[in-house]
Amino acid sequence: MHKLLDFLIRKRHWFLFVLLEIISLTLVYRNNAYQRNIMFGTANVVTAKILSLSGSVNSYLNLREQNRALLERNGALEMDLLMLRDQMEAMIADTVSFRGFVPDSTERFPYDFIMAKVVYNSVTYASNYITLNKGLKDGVSPDMGVISENGVVGIILTVSDYYSVAIPILNPKFRLSCKVLGSNSFGSMSWNGRSTRYANLDELPRHVEFQIGDTIVTSAYSKIFPEGLMVGFVSSFEKQRDDNFYSLKIELTTDFHRLNNVMIIRNYHQAEQKQVEREARGHD
Amino acid sequence: MIDNVIKGIVYFITLVLIQVLVLNNIHFLRLATPFLYLYFIVKLPVGTSSVNTTFLSFLIGMIIDLFSNTPGMHAAACTFAGFSRQAMIKLYMGKDLAEGLSPSFRTFGYGGFFRYAVTFVILHHATLFLIESLTLFDPLFLVIRIVASVVVTTLLLCIVESFNIESQKSGE
Repeated sequence: MHKLLDFLIRKRHWFLFVLLEIISLTLVYRNNAYQRNIMFGTANVVTAKILSLSGSVNSYLNLREQNRALLERNGALEMDLLMLRDQMEAMIADTVSFRGFVPDSTERFPYDFIMAKVVYNSVTYASNYITLNKGLKDGVSPDMGVISENGVVGIILTVSDYYSVAIPILNPKFRLSCKVLGSNSFGSMSWNGRSTRYANLDELPRHVEFQIGDTIVTSAYSKIFPEGLMVGFVSSFEKQRDDNFYSLKIELTTDFHRLNNVMIIRNYHQAEQKQVEREARGHD
Repeated sequence: MIDNVIKGIVYFITLVLIQVLVLNNIHFLRLATPFLYLYFIVKLPVGTSSVNTTFLSFLIGMIIDLFSNTPGMHAAACTFAGFSRQAMIKLYMGKDLAEGLSPSFRTFGYGGFFRYAVTFVILHHATLFLIESLTLFDPLFLVIRIVASVVVTTLLLCIVESFNIESQKSGE
């Protein structure tokens, strides 16, 4: 007995080592997004406060660049508006107007934006996450889309009271239904863990016609993003093994290295669409 | 003794802040990230007991994890590296070191400290990236990332060490 006790005390660093490794590895492999990101992560109130300190310094340093990007974006939108107005006027002039048709004024556009700032953003790991400074109190909830002014960023994964964590394109768990602009066949986009500038679009049917440099946008099948949001450009392609599908390499338009201000998309019809789909599945 | 504790706390806080606010954002050539916070474990005085070293390594790893959304990854790697530190020092320097000395160029010699630091960093980075790669396995890229990060971290460690005035004095 005495010898055993002596042994245990002499080797206590081994026990401590094993215990601590077990604690850490449980943390690594326990797949609970809330505990992972909010309790032990950057969306925790204390860590988020400290990180947003450096974020606010950074956003001052980037002001010139951001201002330029905003002006450019503003110009492009202004051009779009002028073009659309011009087209609309031409169409109105061409059609016999029918006064009996009054669109329903109570129906609102089903999407809405919440502006958010990036508190923490990693690009160095295999599974990356982005922490944003808007949470439950601002109306954010899981499964909302996140976009920047350049294109799709990711999807909200978990939410605490004042912060939320999004899973960006740069995470192997992220999947997004995308299509080549102008066609209707869709494929599934994912990230292969290597370059932060490229992602892969797989399972695109062979009959789709496209060229290198064509634009890739979100498809209409997503409950999260509206159709036609910019994702990237085709940079190269190859046939998949079974030869019936293309696999495309896509150059992403979002620069994840300098993400600062993002928009969270709220879809008012999402709950309804989900419910209908669930009911439909319940009937098989 | 109390001096060492205060010094340790200052090192701890400074290194965590530098790592979290600055170095975590570095992604050199889109491959390598320096993990300078290991300097804290590397510099723990020679006589520190295995239990303390292991626990302190776990603690700093855990705090880095909190700030980078990687729960457990750094903690596991640091615990392992910290646990093996004693054996490493014994292997490179023998047993004839006075207790309470911090490892430095002065006390270990240039070659000794460099070998010790490199081994330590390799152990830590290999564990860290291996744990990470279990979510997405890509062997070639994994090796490239480990090597790149080891080079950058070791370089930074040695630079900081050679500019650390306090450590040059304490060797005398």
